[in-house]
Amino acid sequence: MKYVDEFRDPALGEVLAGEILGLVEPGRHYKFMEVCGGHTHSIYKYGIDDLLPANVELVHGPGCPVCVIPMGRVDDGISLAHQPDVIFTCFGDMLRVPGSDGTLLDAKAEGADIRMVYSPLDALRIAKANPDRPVIFFAIGFETTAPSTALTLKRAKAEGVKNFFCMCNHVTIVPPLRALLDSPDLRLDGFIGPGHVSTVVGVRPFEFIPREYKKPISVAGFEPLDVLHAIHMILTQIKEGRCEVENQYARVVPYDGNPRALEVMSEVFELRPHFEWRGMGFISQSGLKLSEAYADMDAEIQYSVPGIRVADPKACQCGEVLKGVIKPWECKVFGSGCTPERPIGTCMVSSEGACAAYYNYGRFAREREVV
Amino acid sequence: MSRLIANAASALAPTCDYTTGCITCGDVAVPMSVTRLDDERGLALCSDDEGNSETVEIDLVAPVAPGDTLLVHAGTAIARLTEEASA
Repeated sequence: MKYVDEFRDPALGEVLAGEILGLVEPGRHYKFMEVCGGHTHSIYKYGIDDLLPANVELVHGPGCPVCVIPMGRVDDGISLAHQPDVIFTCFGDMLRVPGSDGTLLDAKAEGADIRMVYSPLDALRIAKANPDRPVIFFAIGFETTAPSTALTLKRAKAEGVKNFFCMCNHVTIVPPLRALLDSPDLRLDGFIGPGHVSTVVGVRPFEFIPREYKKPISVAGFEPLDVLHAIHMILTQIKEGRCEVENQYARVVPYDGNPRALEVMSEVFELRPHFEWRGMGFISQSGLKLSEAYADMDAEIQYSVPGIRVADPKACQCGEVLKGVIKPWECKVFGSGCTPERPIGTCMVSSEGACAAYYNYGRFAREREVV
Repeated sequence: MSRLIANAASALAPTCDYTTGCITCGDVAVPMSVTRLDDERGLALCSDDEGNSETVEIDLVAPVAPGDTLLVHAGTAIARLTEEASA
């Protein structure tokens, strides 16, 4: 496939892996965080970690929007789905995320009309086909997905669709990164930056990482050679004593992002004063809600939701996994009480979650042996 | 009982396949080619190399023309791919 095959060339991968080996100092340990769940998935799908020297460690960041959703928000969603006549729409992964009393799938089995959609546009289509029923879209995702929700809400308004509402759970990438960097229990040597978020926000918002925290970052694509190349770039920076933002994914990511997307987002959304992240607590200005101009489409305003904060399950260590403090297999319930079929924590639910990636690509057995 | 039914529904439900990744929830986007334009509504019919087609919002990358390759995430084109950029 064009734009894909050329970034999966095994021969080039071996060349890059050889050069990476030459860039690392023996005896020094390198710990890099891949911010994005999509990178975690690529790393295990293509066995990228097998190509790296033993002293280069990759830890997984909070870049899976499903994994960071707190239980209270799932409960709020389920409560909306049970409102009379409501058609509740959401992305597939969300259906299996446990709230304090079951999942959206459980609610569906109990009679709520919950439908999986692949895009906000699909949800709007359902609203137009069912003009007598309120249709609520459970919006989730980082800046990659937020413009899609924003455009759909604009479209609904322009077309005069009165029965389309949104429960907004969109989050922004910079505040959690800053929270991670301020965390004393996490020592990192660099970041593999999120590729498609950067398509929207650009590379500029990550400049604070080298400037204030003295860590190099390379914004990377999702093919195996992209990830290897990004690691190569970070190691080169370290070797040359540089510390800056680099753009490995320049074929897609402009330095300033997509101004039109940012404009649409600022019209439709505004920052919440704070938003709760699973395992990380409340982070200031890290979540989005609908702006005043779109308040009539805000499901949280038009319907009452419980809004109760629910503590994460005690056995679950998603918080530590999301911060990269522990590896998924170090969690007490990984692979025993918590599996993709019966998840306890969100990291096991989502396809992009670190625990699901470890579980599905056999890291459970291998890492245990290493220990 | 309802939990039993829920578990059965869970097993059968068309959720995202976690072995192949979830395009909507992850930071994942796929290259798609524009096959037809609906200028009036600002939408385009796009298809990928496997023949899957999808109606796509093109507001963020407009103007586009049939044959253009777009990077599509959750039904919205977030970037345009060009030959020079891919080189």
